[in-house]
Amino acid sequence: MMLDLLVIGAGLTGLTAALRAAEAGLRVKVIAKGMGALYWTPGTIDVLGYLGAEERAVQRPWERIDELPERHPYRIVGVKRAQEAIEWFRIRTAELGLDYGGRKGGDNALTPSPVGAWRPSYLLPAGQRAGDAEDGRPMVIVGFQGMRDFYPHLIARNLEAQGQAARAAVLPWSVLSERRDRNSVQLAEALDEPTTQQRLIDALRLVVKPGERIGLPAILGREAHARVLTALTQELNAAVFEIATLPPSVPGIRLATALRRSLEGRGVRVEIGMEAIDFHAQDGVIEFVETATSARPLKHRAKAFLLATGGVLGGGFDSNPDGRFWETVFDLPLTTPQDRRRWFRPLFLDPQGHPALRGGVAVNDAFQPIDAAGNVVYANLWAAGGLLAHADPIAERSLEGVAIASAVAAVEAIKLGSFAHA
Amino acid sequence: MKRMSTDVLVIGGGSTGVGVAWDAALRGLRVILVEKRDLTHGTTGRYHGLLHSGGRYAVKDPQSAIECIEENRILRRTHAHCIEDTGGFFVVTPEDEGDYPDRFKAACAKVGIPCEEIPLREAFRREPLLNPRISRVFEVPDGSADSFLATHVTAQAARQAGAQILIYHEVIDLLTEGGDGDRRVVGARVCDVVRGEEVRIDAAITVNAGGAWAGKIAAMAGVPVNVIPGKGVMVAVNHRLVNTVINRCKMPADGDILVPVHTVAIIGTTDERVSDPEMLTIEPWEVDLMLQEGDKLVPGLSRSRILRAWAGVRPLYQEGYTGESRDATRALALLDHRRRDGVAGFLTITGGKWTTFRLMAEKTVDKVCEQLGVERPCLTATTPVPGAEQGHYWLGHRLHEVEEARLQGDLICECELVTRAMIEQAVANNPTVTLDDLRRDVRLGMGPCQGGFCTFRAAGILHELRLHAQETQAQTDVNGGPPWNVAYLQSPRHSVQTKPAAFNPKVSPLDNPNLLLRDFLQERWRGLTPVLWGRQLKQERLDELIYLTIMNVDHLPEDGEASPLTEFWRFDAAGAKEDGQ
Repeated sequence: MMLDLLVIGAGLTGLTAALRAAEAGLRVKVIAKGMGALYWTPGTIDVLGYLGAEERAVQRPWERIDELPERHPYRIVGVKRAQEAIEWFRIRTAELGLDYGGRKGGDNALTPSPVGAWRPSYLLPAGQRAGDAEDGRPMVIVGFQGMRDFYPHLIARNLEAQGQAARAAVLPWSVLSERRDRNSVQLAEALDEPTTQQRLIDALRLVVKPGERIGLPAILGREAHARVLTALTQELNAAVFEIATLPPSVPGIRLATALRRSLEGRGVRVEIGMEAIDFHAQDGVIEFVETATSARPLKHRAKAFLLATGGVLGGGFDSNPDGRFWETVFDLPLTTPQDRRRWFRPLFLDPQGHPALRGGVAVNDAFQPIDAAGNVVYANLWAAGGLLAHADPIAERSLEGVAIASAVAAVEAIKLGSFAHA
Repeated sequence: MKRMSTDVLVIGGGSTGVGVAWDAALRGLRVILVEKRDLTHGTTGRYHGLLHSGGRYAVKDPQSAIECIEENRILRRTHAHCIEDTGGFFVVTPEDEGDYPDRFKAACAKVGIPCEEIPLREAFRREPLLNPRISRVFEVPDGSADSFLATHVTAQAARQAGAQILIYHEVIDLLTEGGDGDRRVVGARVCDVVRGEEVRIDAAITVNAGGAWAGKIAAMAGVPVNVIPGKGVMVAVNHRLVNTVINRCKMPADGDILVPVHTVAIIGTTDERVSDPEMLTIEPWEVDLMLQEGDKLVPGLSRSRILRAWAGVRPLYQEGYTGESRDATRALALLDHRRRDGVAGFLTITGGKWTTFRLMAEKTVDKVCEQLGVERPCLTATTPVPGAEQGHYWLGHRLHEVEEARLQGDLICECELVTRAMIEQAVANNPTVTLDDLRRDVRLGMGPCQGGFCTFRAAGILHELRLHAQETQAQTDVNGGPPWNVAYLQSPRHSVQTKPAAFNPKVSPLDNPNLLLRDFLQERWRGLTPVLWGRQLKQERLDELIYLTIMNVDHLPEDGEASPLTEFWRFDAAGAKEDGQ
């Protein structure tokens, strides 16, 4: 049976869109080249952290949306619909056992980054909420001897410099593992085991002082995270929080895993290792997308197609030394300057970001890609997420918010009976 | 004001200056060397790493060719571990027609460079990626040199012979005495730029080894030295496309050398006369030219992943020369300002190339001895520097040791196989002010991800070392400086087996990990922007995700403070204003 919707991309945008579409009764499938950028991100839902050159973090993201560029994805979606999309996402992930929550009143929460800067996020997973600056209680940041991706003294130093009482403590590596060459994911898997959990609890008892919140690297269980968090909190009688550090990032992986399982439970296939290499369109309508596999190219037919391949990082765009910047599946028109001298500013941390990374696929109000003249490129193609023009989700700290809001809005547009051509 | 005195004051911590300090100290002279930043911060640390056989200059500049082959033989003994014995090919591509190859072969024979034409089958067997349309291949004893390591161990050798090496000490003014016709340089006023203190150094003789900056130094004594700054652009490809140095067999021109250096290959270089040695801006056409020329040696090079581009400025010198820098001589120039300008106690050594740094030092110190009225023979040609007994560098060296000692879990920079112990030894053993200094010591952040993962880790480790150091007694030399044992810094096994050296916070007073982070990210960015497209841009976007989304490093406290690198930063921003961006 013909698919209603083929989603290309398995990052937060693609998985969210597929979930929303399945919920609406569409026959949907996800194909993707790789696992998606969720595996690298801290697992928080960031809506809008910074605006332009403003040094201070945005306090109430929804109240600042109208200061974004006119064709920013949030402004196309609209504040109300974007808020509804995030709330829908929160409820769905709660059903999946991921308890996302934020500050009251729609304020951004602030949690410590792995260098001790405050990260502005709209929603935090349960495991990160006790790290919010609003709490005010002192922190002990606990690391492990020789762990190369976590430096508790550095975090504590910078938190102290910003007025948050914090100290560092270091536990022996052997609490976690006998092997030195373990990354965050492997350590989280080790903590799925009750014996490792108990060793950690016993070790923490020796260093934690009453009244302190305990900050740990984000390794508190991969599958058994909720149980690990509860066990630590109860046994130590203290608030415990995770700090997500260098990729691979366990909180992001937990979210990706939950979404994929939910899709599988609804009978939605998520096919990884499928790189879209070609497509066929007739009279402005896409008939199929072709993917590369080891045996032969596969054709994926659908009534509607949603492009959610992400920006530069997700593989949605490629570029070359001739100054060409292109969209990798449909070669859609991009707003990115086609001149490599205009791609980057001279300072890496320029608060304005870099022009090459703010460009992307321009869409109409229904999230259909349009050309420079404003005409829809393909009648049955929509786009959402990191590849959208007029946003730099990394510079803005709007990665997850833009992904969810635009994915939901695009699926709503697809549902609104754009199947006349089919 | 702190005051020091010495026989010889050497200005400049590149290969030449450090070579002069080493030579003079071995001859028993008292030596102080001052460098305004880290050793090799200038041209020495910005070249392609070619140990010349002399072949490149055999036709055009036989004197340079002779110097190269003689020094090549010496450095293979004295600095064995700083050199990889790659050998070199001179290849004739379809574009290199005419009689040059035969003239080349004859010229090599005439100046004594071993040069053998080898069968094409043999050449392609050894280098399968070479352009299949190459028609002739000559083999010469080129090599690949680690100029960072070589300069640091030469400095260690100089210190062991009694020299003092003061890095982050910038010359503010030369001290002169006497009037017209009877002037002499008697030392310099320098600024310790990290501590912000001034130091006066009295010296019997001052040697200006400022390289591309030598003209600026000489001007402080009112002496005109017209250094021709010839900017060369180099581009690093993300892996070793070749294991042999590849040269085009033609008159030296742009983009005709491909050098395998450690895990990468470097294509170089251009030669543009520039007005200021600090002008290291790279234009897109310069990168394009390197890639285009690289394709003629290894077809497809331009489509490989490009890691980084950088520029160095050659300190070429030719009395009264006004032409193109490409055609200026590569021969060394030793200027005796007493004879040339009537200013005594002052020498300038410039020109030359990395391969001839030892010879340049020898000639300079010969002149120093003559002027001081002492007669002592040069010892550098027969004195191996510390660590030379390890033999030539080979590519698998670090991986082999990491695997054998099971250090995979301690890799801080996975790209370049830098372990935690290597970083700890490096900061304990020689002054480390910035993460960029650490890069020059152990190759931190020089691989494909350009510091994506290791910048954060190194900043965390340095911060912990500093905290720890406050509780321990650090090992220092008589001057309160670090011991400068750098000969084995490249060895993962040696670093982990050596007793952890205590880190002395006094020698690395930059106390702010946030500045370390910010400055190194900016330093890596400068070299990335000229080559950011395709896969390297994707990698860069991951680095942005790490440092913005995950770390939020652009919103750290106290990140507006100045650091020794801030000046460069300002230069980056100023360059943009001129472009109207």
